[in-house]
Amino acid sequence: MRIKYLLLLLIVSFSSLSQNKQILYNFTSIPQSMMSNPGADVKYKYYFGVPLLSGISANVGSTGFSAYDLYAKNDVNFNTKLRQVVNSVSRNDKLLVNEQVELFAGGFQLGNWEKKGYVSFGMYQEFDFVSYMPKDFAIIALDGNRDHIGKVFNLGDLNMKTEMLSVLHIGYHKNLNENFIVGGRAKLYSSAFNAQTTNNSGYIYTIPGENTIYEQVIYSDLELNTSGVAKYFEDDYEGDAASDIMKKTLFGGNLGLGFDAGFTYYPKKNTQITASITDVGFIKHSKAVKTFTYKGYYKYEGVNPNFDTANNSGSTYEEFQNAIPYDSVYTKYTTWRPAKLNASYQYSFDESRAADCNCSGEENEYKSAVGGQLFVMTLPRKPIMALTAYYQRQLVKNLNVKATYTVDSFSYTNIGLGLSAQIGKLNMYLLADNLLEYRDVSKANSLSFQFGFNFIFKEVNE
Amino acid sequence: MMIMKKTHIKKLVFTLFSLFALSCSSDLDFNQANELLLEPVIVANLTYFDIAAPQFVTNGVENNLLFDAQDFDVFRDSFFRDNLKRADFYFEISNTISRAYTINILLLDKNDQILYTIPMTVPAYTGSENVVKTTEIFENNKLALLKSTKRMAFMLTMAPGTPLTANSPGNLKLKSSATVYLEIK
Repeated sequence: MRIKYLLLLLIVSFSSLSQNKQILYNFTSIPQSMMSNPGADVKYKYYFGVPLLSGISANVGSTGFSAYDLYAKNDVNFNTKLRQVVNSVSRNDKLLVNEQVELFAGGFQLGNWEKKGYVSFGMYQEFDFVSYMPKDFAIIALDGNRDHIGKVFNLGDLNMKTEMLSVLHIGYHKNLNENFIVGGRAKLYSSAFNAQTTNNSGYIYTIPGENTIYEQVIYSDLELNTSGVAKYFEDDYEGDAASDIMKKTLFGGNLGLGFDAGFTYYPKKNTQITASITDVGFIKHSKAVKTFTYKGYYKYEGVNPNFDTANNSGSTYEEFQNAIPYDSVYTKYTTWRPAKLNASYQYSFDESRAADCNCSGEENEYKSAVGGQLFVMTLPRKPIMALTAYYQRQLVKNLNVKATYTVDSFSYTNIGLGLSAQIGKLNMYLLADNLLEYRDVSKANSLSFQFGFNFIFKEVNE
Repeated sequence: MMIMKKTHIKKLVFTLFSLFALSCSSDLDFNQANELLLEPVIVANLTYFDIAAPQFVTNGVENNLLFDAQDFDVFRDSFFRDNLKRADFYFEISNTISRAYTINILLLDKNDQILYTIPMTVPAYTGSENVVKTTEIFENNKLALLKSTKRMAFMLTMAPGTPLTANSPGNLKLKSSATVYLEIK
């Protein structure tokens, strides 16, 4: 039963190119764009987000297969579908989930109008899950080894990490001169729980043997680090896991530090270059830690009677347990946050005519822009990458749209659309990608959206 | 002007939201996960030995009966016990000793009572190697017996013939494997 739930958990938690917020990046009419580039060209006198509603984002999807592949309501047996999915995925296919909710956010301007600096701060809660497809484990579970004599099953296929944390942050960006803006952000992480098993190795093989029918070897170097998790699985745990986790997310988790840095540069008035690196940081897990290991080597030959002496050579089950012991230890460990790199190049055109200018100090001098973006994020095995082309336009004053086309390992047909509207002081935004997939969401490999509400008080330059 | 702007915004917001509202989805049935049934077939070594002819001779006197019992406790693992649907034991005996043998493999319970006996005979060596192959299938009631097995005993009986000496050539070898059929719901 437990195995079934584990399998289900893996399969249900399908998801996407986590954290590539290609629509939000550099969409500077939305203050949350500072979260993907602390050096974004965002201007305000002050702003604050509507608590809990200023920034909500989630991603769902997966490389390799979709919910439809597994759960389509048709005459095909579930086990047949599962087998087809396992056969079609590779060990490098992955499931990624990311969810963020901003608890509070705000910012204000510092200094005089010539040497302006901007402070922004806030706190958000984040959940991350990434798992590669444990393909060889799935083959053993589905087929066993009889039809795979000679195959070396790779135990390194087990590669997963998940974390729930809160992030308290404060950032600052400043115009160094008229066309160069730099910014940075310091982050304090508090991890409510973490589980990761990313450095596994080992193998299992069965080949025809000499004195025995088979030569069978297991070499295992498996390790699972956890913090803040173990107690929920203990028999005498009587609390409410959800509320306990929420409490620990906010206070009393394992702490870590990190930073973001970025810039915006205008080599020409109509040309813009930006780049940022975010979540360069670590968390030290020392509270409520537990590490589980399966390490050892065992060559299984079977029962071997000894007719010469009366002694009993021992039991096979015990022999195996001694050779590859299951162990749990309490050791501190450090995890790194998935670092993200963003960069963009933008060309603006369609200059606003002076007649349109109401001299409010708005610096949107161009109505339209096209550009390209690059996104790279570190993952346990190798980084993932995405390229985006976009078109951004101010439809009317206070209404900006951004359309994106993104190519990545999840999809070649990812079209996204974002909308940011300012009604009075209220800013609202809604961004969604993979719009083509909405024709049939069950077949989507990835979906993501972000939305939120802020109150923005613009600076006035009279 | 202001009114026009507002209509624009409304229109756009409406369009974007209807996009989500109009999104389609094929029928999905998440309950079918309950049909999950894993049926792995696993092969593994079961037992083996290799006895040279002189091992049947002690101080110049022939020993017609060899016996040994070993722990066989794979069924201590409840996961394995609960999900085992069938097990096939395969035995391969080869004999290059000039005597015939009866090999009985006994499955013993925790009180060393015999639950099941697998009998095999192999003829004497007369110039070409004798290989005897046997497959024993455990299902249903027979499988229940297997699941209560705690020890496996080996009883080798040598048939009468030309006496062996400390220098007699040949070996009696056994190789054996198990094919286990699991059914995990």
